[in-house]
Amino acid sequence: MTYKVIGKRVKRVEDPRLLTGGALFVGDVNLPNMLYAAFFRSDYAHARIKSIDTSQAKLIPGVVGVYTAEDMGEAWEPGPPLVSPPPTLEDVVFNSRRQVPLVKDKVKHAGEIIAVVVAESRYIAEDAVEEIYVDYEPLPAVTDLEKCLEPGHTLVHDDLDTNLAAHLVQNKGDYEAAKKEADLVLKRKFKLDRGAAVAMENRGIVVDWDQKSQHLMVWDATQSPIPIRNGMAARLGLRTHQVRVVAPFVGGGFGPKIMMFYAEEMVLPWLTMKLNRPVKWIEDRKENFYATTQEREQIQEVEMALSKEGRILGIKQKIIHDTGAFNPYGLTTPLNTQSHSMGPYDVQNYNSEVFVVFTNKTIVTPVRGAGRPQGIYIVERMLDIACKDLGLDSREVRRLNFIPKDAFPYNHEIIDQAFAELVLDSGNYLPAYEKALEKIEYEKFIKEDQPRLRAEGKYVGIGVVPFIETTGVGPYEGARVAIEPSGKISAATGVGTQGQSHMTSFAQIIAEELGVEVEDVSLVSGDTAEIHWGTGTFASRGAVVAGNAVLAAASDVRKKVLKLASKILETPEDELELDGGLVRVADIPDKSISLGELAVLANPFRGAVEPGTEPGLESTKYFGPAYGATAFGVHGMILEVDPETMMIKIHKYVTVEDCGTMLNPLVVEGQIHGGVSMGIGNAYYEKLHYDENAQLLNASLADYLIPTSAEMPHIEVYHQNTPAPNNKLGTKGVGEAGAIPVPAAFAQALENALPDFDLEIIETPLSPNRLYELLYKSEE
Amino acid sequence: MKVEGEHLFTGTQQQVWDLFRNTEVMAAALPGTKKMELVGENTYEAIMNVRVGPVAGEFSGQLVLSNEDHPNSYTMTVDGRGKPGFLKGVGDVILADQGANQTLMGYSGEVQIGGKLAAVGQRLIDTVAKSIIGQAFETLDNALAERENAESEGREADYHQSSEGDYAATVAKDLIKNVLKRKGSEEA
Repeated sequence: MTYKVIGKRVKRVEDPRLLTGGALFVGDVNLPNMLYAAFFRSDYAHARIKSIDTSQAKLIPGVVGVYTAEDMGEAWEPGPPLVSPPPTLEDVVFNSRRQVPLVKDKVKHAGEIIAVVVAESRYIAEDAVEEIYVDYEPLPAVTDLEKCLEPGHTLVHDDLDTNLAAHLVQNKGDYEAAKKEADLVLKRKFKLDRGAAVAMENRGIVVDWDQKSQHLMVWDATQSPIPIRNGMAARLGLRTHQVRVVAPFVGGGFGPKIMMFYAEEMVLPWLTMKLNRPVKWIEDRKENFYATTQEREQIQEVEMALSKEGRILGIKQKIIHDTGAFNPYGLTTPLNTQSHSMGPYDVQNYNSEVFVVFTNKTIVTPVRGAGRPQGIYIVERMLDIACKDLGLDSREVRRLNFIPKDAFPYNHEIIDQAFAELVLDSGNYLPAYEKALEKIEYEKFIKEDQPRLRAEGKYVGIGVVPFIETTGVGPYEGARVAIEPSGKISAATGVGTQGQSHMTSFAQIIAEELGVEVEDVSLVSGDTAEIHWGTGTFASRGAVVAGNAVLAAASDVRKKVLKLASKILETPEDELELDGGLVRVADIPDKSISLGELAVLANPFRGAVEPGTEPGLESTKYFGPAYGATAFGVHGMILEVDPETMMIKIHKYVTVEDCGTMLNPLVVEGQIHGGVSMGIGNAYYEKLHYDENAQLLNASLADYLIPTSAEMPHIEVYHQNTPAPNNKLGTKGVGEAGAIPVPAAFAQALENALPDFDLEIIETPLSPNRLYELLYKSEE
Repeated sequence: MKVEGEHLFTGTQQQVWDLFRNTEVMAAALPGTKKMELVGENTYEAIMNVRVGPVAGEFSGQLVLSNEDHPNSYTMTVDGRGKPGFLKGVGDVILADQGANQTLMGYSGEVQIGGKLAAVGQRLIDTVAKSIIGQAFETLDNALAERENAESEGREADYHQSSEGDYAATVAKDLIKNVLKRKGSEEA
């Protein structure tokens, strides 16, 4: 299908506001009579509370109140259970333990909130927090993913007799039988560690209860305003129409701003209703390190059975996944790890056992990639190691194992995060892989550049890794599209924006369908007053699920436009065209009517609308796919290691992405760039260091390193288009793609750069220090 | 965090033992100490100002001596907390007579830190801890000398507590020394 607007490199319509400080963020919301909250958070990761003394804090002038769990009374309850285990899987153990608004008796991770101060200013509130005294009985912390499952180990939750949060097994084929046929059976144990999302904007929330109108107004830096509205109404005993949640511009989500129901989102609405005054809280960076969710910590024991030609006969895996102190987001992350552990390969035998464990660390929910990077990491690393053992070319082995083009839809026969069967809807992997090899000039590098540079004493290496990304899962999203009497278009979707360019790419869909300019479309995303139903921005699903809902609504409006215009212009619908804000008779350009005029006529003052029709040129539609749209990509890099400092320089970075139909290539490329920078962080810079007491030792941007522009390579982005067959637009998600394969490609390149060392990388993130240890520790 | 080391004192084993049981001397020796008193048998309470890089504040806590083998060894348990976080440590102290009025003190222990102290201060805390201990020994050396002088001169010993300014300056010097040392060893 050829489009006029979809697929064009349209500049982002939201940028002028963002770049000139004209965009509303939660921090910009300041209301008359507003109060400020600050939280007393536990320094201990695991401790029983013996007593709390807030008396000194209450004496400070300007303090309106200091509250603990006890003060909440009946209103105190844990956060809602968000995602249950998949109902179709048998013998699943799932122990649901959810975060609480204020800790009652036992602290379960450092940073948990014990008390809240409300004051006339943030300064006063913070000062008062310092005057709160809590008497603790410190307890040993649960930190070790393996030891925590041993009998008699300290428990995070005293009402469970185990630290096991969940256990499940997924099976495809018969691994043990496949293993018997194998020429090589590889076993490795991987350690994948934690990182933070580090959105530029921290979390924040402003709440305003209006007693007279009995209405609660909320501005929340969340990815999911509709579930937050639903949850708040339920907690407060209000009806949903009494609560409006606005997620205005949000400065980066990356997963942790999902509808987790953070403690602050439970405490602030209670405060504003109690005090009848607006209350504001903006998270500071230190709080963000302790209280905002994190991800990626797993230990994996992996076995791969291969033929001597390098064909994967089967994979067996044991995953221990750290969920931190609570598991509000169910099994999404480990299920994603399973869904990606077979990568883009035709694997007939797979057996995977997951243990999810509670520890005294910050809660884990998906962070951009959401379990996928761990799956891709282990399968790609195992293949690289197998190639060394079998003396095979890593490219040949990948070519041999790719799911062939004619095998789609390809059923991986396991359950995915959406509780649907993991069916890869479409794909054409080999050409994209070859394109990446060609663009990075693999042959030339190996045959010419690398030998020459090595002769000059330089440690340079290449890594090329393919990956899949399951995207665009249900349940559904909705969109409302309406033509205003001015002829301009108003649209709304519940999928809030944290930088994904919704206001541009969704406007392109509407502009395409209704024949208007992108600038004439004004899209509101993330305001529950504009659309009632929806879930949120996560799982790389905006362009697929919300995008197709936008298309459906715009198509329906188009139908209404054509029907009305046909009557007025006395011309059959199929002879009409929509262009330049007008409906025209195709052959007679002068015979036309504007969309604005039609909108006025569709909402008459007198007479009556015909039975069975609705007033206005407006439509609300929903889209929910049976299963997701699976994207594919290949990342390749050439890097150089400084053998003295262990610092890395990435000389060339190439990506080939296949996310089906692109709504806007500029936006896709922006997503890739951002993802790659996060992936480089995950590969070599970003690691949260917890000590054996579950104390976070680098809770500041001075010690937690994120890649800056100096560490970022120039990224070449190439595209391939294999449209998704299960949605009209043919879109596949791409929001998380950039981050997924980077640690695996980085490890391959690093091993390739350091052939003099017996280097085998089975952990991530690395760092210069860690690389030094891996290279030289064994010699000492 | 592991803390270990040794120091050679000029004085008899008994003199050194007594020195460590003198709250006035100890308060003077530990930089930033505002108060130190014996509150029970072998239990001391102290208030100390601690500054580790950007993290500063008052700590209050308890110090308990146990497993005493007079005058050879004892175990020291520290448990303190304050606005910047908390610390908890257990360590063993051993005194050995080296003859010629010399006593070697060896110490080794484990210290846990938490809160802001751990989150923001951990990169510096090792050096700061060593610096505090180093300064304490210097003060104690002086105290031993002063005690001997005072005895021989027949007057009361007068212990001088270094100011927090002196302390901060010494920590800064030690930090720089540390960096230079590291750089030197890399070049070598």
